[in-house]
Amino acid sequence: MNSTNLFIESAGNGPRIQFEKVCLMLGGNSILDEVDFVVEPGSIHCLIGPNGGGKTSLLRSLLGQMPHSGTIKLGWSDGEVIGYVPQMLDFDRTLPITVDDFMAMTCQTRPAFFGIGSEFRIPIGRILDKVGLAEKRYRILGQLSGGEMQRLLLAQALLPAPNLLVLDEPATGLDEKGATILRNLLRELKTQGVTIFWIHHDLQEVREMADFVTCINRRVIFSGRPVEVLNNEQILSAFSARSYQNTGTMP
Amino acid sequence: MTAVYELFRNLLLQWAEAGFLPESFKYAFVANAFFCAFLIGPLLGGIGTMVVTKRLAFFSQAVGQAAMTGVALGILLGEPYTSPYASLFGFCILFGLLMNFTRGRTKMSSDTVIGVFLSISLAVGACILLYVTAGVNIHILESILFGSILTVSDIDMNVLLVVAVICTMVSIPFYNRLLLGSFNSSLAHVRGVKVVLMEYMFVLMITVITVASLKIVGAVLVEALFIIPAAAARNISKSIRSFTAFSILFSTLACLLGVVIPLEFNIAVPSGGAIILVASFFFLITAVVRITGKRYSEGTL
Repeated sequence: MNSTNLFIESAGNGPRIQFEKVCLMLGGNSILDEVDFVVEPGSIHCLIGPNGGGKTSLLRSLLGQMPHSGTIKLGWSDGEVIGYVPQMLDFDRTLPITVDDFMAMTCQTRPAFFGIGSEFRIPIGRILDKVGLAEKRYRILGQLSGGEMQRLLLAQALLPAPNLLVLDEPATGLDEKGATILRNLLRELKTQGVTIFWIHHDLQEVREMADFVTCINRRVIFSGRPVEVLNNEQILSAFSARSYQNTGTMP
Repeated sequence: MTAVYELFRNLLLQWAEAGFLPESFKYAFVANAFFCAFLIGPLLGGIGTMVVTKRLAFFSQAVGQAAMTGVALGILLGEPYTSPYASLFGFCILFGLLMNFTRGRTKMSSDTVIGVFLSISLAVGACILLYVTAGVNIHILESILFGSILTVSDIDMNVLLVVAVICTMVSIPFYNRLLLGSFNSSLAHVRGVKVVLMEYMFVLMITVITVASLKIVGAVLVEALFIIPAAAARNISKSIRSFTAFSILFSTLACLLGVVIPLEFNIAVPSGGAIILVASFFFLITAVVRITGKRYSEGTL
């Protein structure tokens, strides 16, 4: 992709992330056990694994929100901005908060009820346009479809421009339009050197998009380039019959 | 501060004499009540939108009821009946913070924790209240429980003014951060929001506002002014801007009308009751607008 075509200014190169013997105990249960792997800077690294295997817990450990032991080294090179795309938001569906209000609430200090500040008007407009929500700026959050909500969560993660983008795969999948937008966006961010760490369920897409993939189920099951590690034998051993039924994501 | 209040009272007096305002505004206590209504209205209306967004309606109710126990405690400890502020602030702040602490640490659902605390506080309050009222005139308590504009003193106005200024100065710059945590605490944390600190700050704000509004709205009903104007505004709003603006408008009108109407029509009701009834009237109208308006139509299930 042509670099003059970029819709947000590049924040510079992303960090290298090193997980070293990361363990996590919650409520007396072992959630993560000696997790070791490396996320290369500027790569798209997907995290897969059965439900309840500790993917989100690992991600929250990375964000400093879990009482984990072991070390997670973030080797920043340029800026230190993290963009985070959560699974979902918790709110009443009739709450009168629009797409614009939500962008204002996440990105600026000026209170959201005063509207978007002048310095954010252009970047927010551009990003909403990029994720295909330009026409829904005055919709209240409760009236967005699952796919639209996911694109909004993606949009807020891009302002300020991130060096590290962390995505927690939504429980409900993106619509086709959203999936295409997301794919193009991530490729674009990758050309800027952004490190992308992505929990994913769709193994087909992991094959297409990821530079590296790590499968965890409490501990690392396998880790490497998708073409090397994503063979049927590995996947069968990682997703037990039970978790296969739960996730339904076998290729 | 007294000079400022005098200025305000004289201004109202002149306007009343010139016929711009009703006769009753010649009285100092009416002017005092009006002054308080002007502070309480926008403050509770504005903060109320956050209470509703953060789903803390039940929480603010518990803090309101705790104020009753605070009053009882104050009388027991020998504070003046009309302004037992040390006990009120002391007990309510302790109660609010402890409730938030328990909620955060036990990870129990909010309504369970609040229910437990509310019951404890009511039980303690009821016991102390019945014990102390053996010695005092019960009518004095009425004004604290349900609000009375007759008893508003310069001290009350000072307390309210200080609380209003501080809460406004805190809630405007922290508005987005106070709200974001309730949408997704992980996201708020990544955005550099100190989520737990914000929760405590907000609880503290609700508590001190509740205590400061006691004289006009009363301990039993003060939390209703957090919720009803915001709920009414929510019925007819399509953005956070109109949500906030309508809530402030409804709350301020309710406070002003709730003070003025009983005076003008010589109805002997507590100001708190009148204020909440006016606010409820706004809620009723907006609810009808929402139910009948096509632009608000939703699925039925």
